[in-house]
Amino acid sequence: MNQLVYLIPLLPLIGFLINGLLRKSLSKSVIAIIGSGVILASFVISLVLFFQVKSSGGQIINYFNLINLDKLVIPFAFQIDQLSSLFLLIITGIGFLIHLYSAAYMHEETNEHYGRYFAYLNLFVFSMLLLVMGANYVIMFFGWEGVGLCSYLLIGFWFKNDNYNYAAKKAFIMNRIGDLGFLLAVFWMIAKIGTVNYTDVFAATSNFSSADITAITILLFIGAMGKSAQIPLYTWLPDAMAGPTPVSALIHAATMVTAGIYMITRSNILYSLSEVTQHLVAIVGLATALFAATIAIKQNDIKKVLAYSTVSQLGYMFLGLGVGAYTGAVFHVMTHAFFKALLFLGAGSVIHAMHHEQDMRKMGGLKKYLPITHITFLVGCIAISGIPPFSGFFSKDEILAAAYAKNPIYWGIGVATAALTAFYMFRLYATTFLGNFRGSHEQAHHLHESPSAMTIPLIVLAALSVVGGFFNVPEVLGGHSSLHQFLSPAITSEVVHEASHSTEYMLMGISVAVAVIAIVIAINKFSKKPELQDAQGFAKVLENKWYVDELYDNIIVKPLNSLGSFFKNIIERRGIDGMVNGVGKLVNYSARQLRLLQSGLVGGYILFMVLAIIVLIYVWINDNHILSFFYKYF
Amino acid sequence: MPERAELGVMNAIIFSALIGVVMMLGGIVIKSNAGIKLLAIILLFILLGSHLAEYYDLFNIHIQTHGMLAKSRFGMFFNTIIISLTLLYVLLSGDEIVKVGTYGAEYFALIFFSLCGATILSSYNNLLMLFLGVEIMTIPLFVLTSSEKKNLKSNEAGLKYFLMGSFSTGILLMGIALYYGGTGLFAIEASKAANEAQQAFRILLPLGLLFIFISLSFKVSAAPFHFWTPDVYDGAPSVFTSFMATIVKTAGFIAFIKLFELRSVDMGYSWKILLPLIIILTLLAGNITAVFQQSVKRMLAYSSIAHAGFMLFALYNPNDFGKQGIMLYTVAYSLATIGTFAVLTKMKDYTYEGYNGLAKTKPVLAATNTIFILSLAGIPLTAGFFAKYYMLASALKESTSNLWLVIVAVLFAAVSVYYYFRVIQAMYFKDGNAETTEIKPFFKTLLIIIAALIIVIGLMPSLLLDLFYA
Repeated sequence: MNQLVYLIPLLPLIGFLINGLLRKSLSKSVIAIIGSGVILASFVISLVLFFQVKSSGGQIINYFNLINLDKLVIPFAFQIDQLSSLFLLIITGIGFLIHLYSAAYMHEETNEHYGRYFAYLNLFVFSMLLLVMGANYVIMFFGWEGVGLCSYLLIGFWFKNDNYNYAAKKAFIMNRIGDLGFLLAVFWMIAKIGTVNYTDVFAATSNFSSADITAITILLFIGAMGKSAQIPLYTWLPDAMAGPTPVSALIHAATMVTAGIYMITRSNILYSLSEVTQHLVAIVGLATALFAATIAIKQNDIKKVLAYSTVSQLGYMFLGLGVGAYTGAVFHVMTHAFFKALLFLGAGSVIHAMHHEQDMRKMGGLKKYLPITHITFLVGCIAISGIPPFSGFFSKDEILAAAYAKNPIYWGIGVATAALTAFYMFRLYATTFLGNFRGSHEQAHHLHESPSAMTIPLIVLAALSVVGGFFNVPEVLGGHSSLHQFLSPAITSEVVHEASHSTEYMLMGISVAVAVIAIVIAINKFSKKPELQDAQGFAKVLENKWYVDELYDNIIVKPLNSLGSFFKNIIERRGIDGMVNGVGKLVNYSARQLRLLQSGLVGGYILFMVLAIIVLIYVWINDNHILSFFYKYF
Repeated sequence: MPERAELGVMNAIIFSALIGVVMMLGGIVIKSNAGIKLLAIILLFILLGSHLAEYYDLFNIHIQTHGMLAKSRFGMFFNTIIISLTLLYVLLSGDEIVKVGTYGAEYFALIFFSLCGATILSSYNNLLMLFLGVEIMTIPLFVLTSSEKKNLKSNEAGLKYFLMGSFSTGILLMGIALYYGGTGLFAIEASKAANEAQQAFRILLPLGLLFIFISLSFKVSAAPFHFWTPDVYDGAPSVFTSFMATIVKTAGFIAFIKLFELRSVDMGYSWKILLPLIIILTLLAGNITAVFQQSVKRMLAYSSIAHAGFMLFALYNPNDFGKQGIMLYTVAYSLATIGTFAVLTKMKDYTYEGYNGLAKTKPVLAATNTIFILSLAGIPLTAGFFAKYYMLASALKESTSNLWLVIVAVLFAAVSVYYYFRVIQAMYFKDGNAETTEIKPFFKTLLIIIAALIIVIGLMPSLLLDLFYA
C-alpha cells in the first residue's frame, strides 16, 4: 500500500490539470466525472491506508530532497500516521461528497467555468492533502499556501462581481498576515536546530530555550489564527461566503479552516512545553467562540449565520487545544466537518430552491417543499447544538470536560456559547423551515426539492452527523474512547484529566439542559413571529458584527492608505521624483555642454589632444603627489 | 605556448593579405555585384579554414620571425573571433557594401587588408610590428571612410580621420623611439641584460610607454582622444562604420592588452591614476554626449566610445580575468553592434523618428534590434551583461579599492539605458510608419541567428569561455 501513497495527492493534481487545461473542450458530465472520480479514488486509497495504519502503525516515506543546502536538508517526505490518516479520510471523504453535490449545484455555469470550478476544487484537495501528509513544516507550508490560493480563487469564482473580488482579496491578505507568522516560526526552527522535520524537531526540543519554544509556538499560532479564522484575523471568513456554497462547505467549514487545528495538534509536543502559549490559545479560542456566537444571533443571511457559527466552533476547537485536549479538538474537527458540511450543503439546497435568495426573512415554511433538505438540516442543527446522542454532543462534551478540569471559568463561557449556538441555529431553522412562506409568488411557484446528486450527500452527511460521535464514546458513558486510543501514538502530550463520574454527569447534564432550553425558546420565538424588521439598539451592534470591520478599516486600512498616499504624493513626487528628474536634467544639461566640444574642427580637436597630453604628462610626473593626495582625502 | 614563440600566426596574416590581392584582381574580372559578394564570402571561408587548420595543427606556414611575432592561444582565439565576425558581417551587409559606390571589389579588398592588420596586432611581439599592424589596419579605413565619393560628409570624415590618425601615429612613433632609448630594444619582452645596460636612460622607458598608451587610446577612441570618432563614424558610410566600430576597435584593445600584460609594471604608480582618469573621461564623454543626439547613427558612435570605457577595465587584470572578459566583450559587443548597424543601414531615416512604429511594419527587425540594444545596454540574459560583468570584475579582482570606479561605471551604464531605450521606445511605443529598404528573408534569418547567439551567450557565457581554454 505504501507504494500507492503518492497517488493520494497526485490524483487530484491530475484532475486539476485535465479539467484546467481542457475545460473548454470537455463536456460537463466528463468534467464532473473526472473531478469527482479522482477524489473518490484518493478516498479509497486513504481508506485502505487508514486500516493499515490502524493495524500496523504509521511511517515516514521519503521521496527526494526538496532543498539540499550546505547543512539544511529538507526532504520531500510524507508522514503517514494516525493523525494524518484520519485527516486524509475527512478531506477525501467529505471532499468527494461535496464534489458530487457541486456537479448538480454548479450545473448552470457554462462549460468553461464549470471546468474551472472543478479544476480549482481538485487543486484545493491536492494542496490540503499535501498540508496534512507532509513530514515537515515546509511541505506543510506548501499545502498551507496552496489552500490559501485556492480559497482566494474560489471565493472570487464569480469574478465579475467586484464585491466578491474584494472578499477574495480580504481572505488572501488576512491569511498572508498569518502566513508570515508561520514562515517566521519555520525560519526560527531552521536557525536554532537546522531542521524542519517533525520527528527531528520534536526530538530536539531540549536544544530550544523556553523563550524559543514560546516564540515558535506563538508564531505558529498566528499562522493558525489566519487560516482558522480566530480573533483578530477572523473577519475574512464571513466574507468568504461570496464563493459558491459547496466551496463554503468544503473549504470554509470542513477542511481548510481546520488546518490550524491540525498544525497545532501536529506540534502538540512543542505546545505542551509552553504554558504561556497554551493559555493564549485557550483564551483566544474561547473569546472567538463567544464573540462569533453573539454575532450569529442577529445575522439574516443564511450563509452568514453558518459562517459565524463556523468561526465560533473553530474557537471551541482552539479552546480544546489550549487546555490540552488535543484528541477532543481533532474529534470536534471530525464531527464538525460532518454537520457543518451538512448544514452548508443544506443551505445550498435551500438557496438553489429559492433561486439564489439568501435572506432568511424571505423564506419560511420550506418544510413542506423541501422534505429531505428539511430533515437532514434538522439533524445538523441538533448535532451542532450538542444534543445526545448526536455527534456534536460527544465532541463538545470532551472539550468542555477538559476545560472544566483546567479552569471552571473556561467551562462556564463554553457552556454559555453552547447555549447561544443552539439558540441561533434553531432561530435559523425556525425562520427558514417553519411558519409561512414569505417569498415572492414566483419563488413559491418554483420551489422544489433538489436533485439526487445533491440530496444523497445530504443524507450521507446526516447519517454521519448522527453516528459520528460513537467513534469516541467516553468511558463514563460506557465507551472506550476509541479515537483517543487510536490517536495516542501521534498525540503524546494529551492532558489526561481525572474527574469523578458524578462531576462528569453533572457537566453533561448542565450543558444539555441549557441547550434544550435555548432550542425551545428559539423555536417558540421564531416559528410564529420571525424577526422581519431592522434591529434596534444593542441588536443593531450585533447585526453589524460589533463594527469590527469598521474598526479595522479605521485603525489599519485607512492609516495605511493615508501613509501610502503620503509616500506617493510627498516622498515620491517631491523627493524621489525630484531627485530622479534632477539627475536626468543634469545629464541632459551636461550633454548639451559636452556636445559643444565636438565642434567639427580638426584644429580644435588636435589642440584638445595636445592639452590632454600635457596634462597626462604632468600627472605622470607628479603621480606620487597626486596619489598621496588621494589617499589622504579618500 | 612559449616553445613556439618564434613562429608567428602566419596563416591568418598571410591569407588575409592574399585574399585581399585576389579580391582586387577579381574585381577586374567579375563585374556583377552579386559575383563580387560571392567571391568575398568564399575568400573569407578560405581564410577561416586556413586559420582553423593552423589552430588545430593541421597545416601552417612556418616563417622564422626572430621574435617579431609570437603565437599565443589568446591571439589565435581572438583571430578566430574576428575572422568569424567579419564573415558574419559580410554575409549580413555584403549587399550594402557593394552598393556604396562603383568599386565593390576594392571595398572588400580594403576590408581584408584591414583584417590583416588586426591579425598582426593579435600576435605582435615587437613594437615595430605593433606600428605596422596599426598602420595596415587603419590606412584602408581612411579610404573606406571617404568611399562615398560624391558625399561631402564622407570625404570630410575621411580627411579628418587621416589627419588625426597621422597625428596619433606620430605620437606612437615617438613613444616607440623613447622606449628604444630607454631599453635599447623594440621587443616588448625585454631581457634583463638589456635593461641594465640602459640604466642611465631608464626614465625614457615609462615616458615612451605613456606615449604608446596615448596613441592606442586614440585608436580605441578613449577620451580625451576620442574627438575623431563621432565625426568619422557619422560621416563614413554606415556599413563601414559597423566594421570600424567592431572588428577594428576590438583589435586595438588586443594590442593594448598585450602591451599592458607585460609592461604595466614599468609605468610605475602613474597608471593607477591615468587608467581610472581615462576610463572616467571616456565613460563621461561617451554616455553623456550620446544622450543629446537625435541621430541613431551618431548615438551609436558615442555609445562605441562608452563601450571603449568599459573595455579599458580589462587593463586592470590583463592576465586572466581581463583576457576572458575582453574575449566575451569582443563577441558580445561586436555581435550586437553588427546587428544593430545592419538594421540601421536598412532604415531610410537615421533619426530616432525614423524608427517610429518599426515594430508594426517590420516586427522581426524590431524584435531582433531590441535584443541587440538590450545587449548593448548590458541587460541580463543577454551577452552584454556578462561582458560588462567580467570587465568590472577584473577591476575588482585587481583590488577591491577600485570599487568606487566600478560604481561610477555602473551609474554610467544606467545613463546609457536612457539613450538605448529611446530606440526601443520609438520602435514599439510611438506611432509612425518606419520606412526601410527591401529586406531579404536571408537577412532576417541571420538577424535572428545573431540575436539567438546573444541570448545563448547571455545565458551560458561559459560556452564561449570554455572554447578559449579548450
